[in-house]
Amino acid sequence: MEQFRKKIKTRMLLISIVLLVFVAILLYNQFGASDALKDSLAFSFQCGLSASGSLVLVFWLVKNRRALSDEAKLRLLYNQENDERMSAIRAKAGIPMVLILSMALVLGGMIIGYFNETVFVILIGVALFQLLVSLGVKLYYMKMM
Amino acid sequence: MNTKIKELRKEKKISQEQLANAVGTTRQTITSIEVGKYTASLALAYKIARYFGLTIEEVFDFSQIDSEIEPE
Repeated sequence: MEQFRKKIKTRMLLISIVLLVFVAILLYNQFGASDALKDSLAFSFQCGLSASGSLVLVFWLVKNRRALSDEAKLRLLYNQENDERMSAIRAKAGIPMVLILSMALVLGGMIIGYFNETVFVILIGVALFQLLVSLGVKLYYMKMM
Repeated sequence: MNTKIKELRKEKKISQEQLANAVGTTRQTITSIEVGKYTASLALAYKIARYFGLTIEEVFDFSQIDSEIEPE
């Protein structure tokens, strides 16, 4: 369990770093971005993604913090993360590969979005589609297994 | 696969949650094993059997698997 505790601490550090990046992006978008930049679709998407991503990360941070301070919650979190049935379901749903590919598509889309909106929409659409398919498969197997 | 987990739990008067915590899994997994939707891995089956102080064969029903083995 001590190993898992260390893992949670490292995870919390990584979450905090990503959270800071999201907050920095939000602050730049609010106060530093030019008006010409603010007109693009990619800019609006980046604002929405940073804001929603920040909320999710704060929730995740609080969940991990609570687990660290309570042995029973830590054990529960350990069991949830190492549950063999869920591992099998996640593997069937293509996790983590689908998440990695989706993140790469979103990141690529956000960069290309400043040059070509059509490519941006296609890349984000593909990322969302594969995430939805993965979620659907996961829900199906959660019911079947 | 059929199991005697539910009956053994009732005998010991423990909940699925308690069993799940004791063997390091989730309540949902215990439910799935009990209703036969999910077949536990060898490691988990061993943990469950040991928890009840029994052997794997005494907790899990292998009759269907036995029928699939071709005699020499």
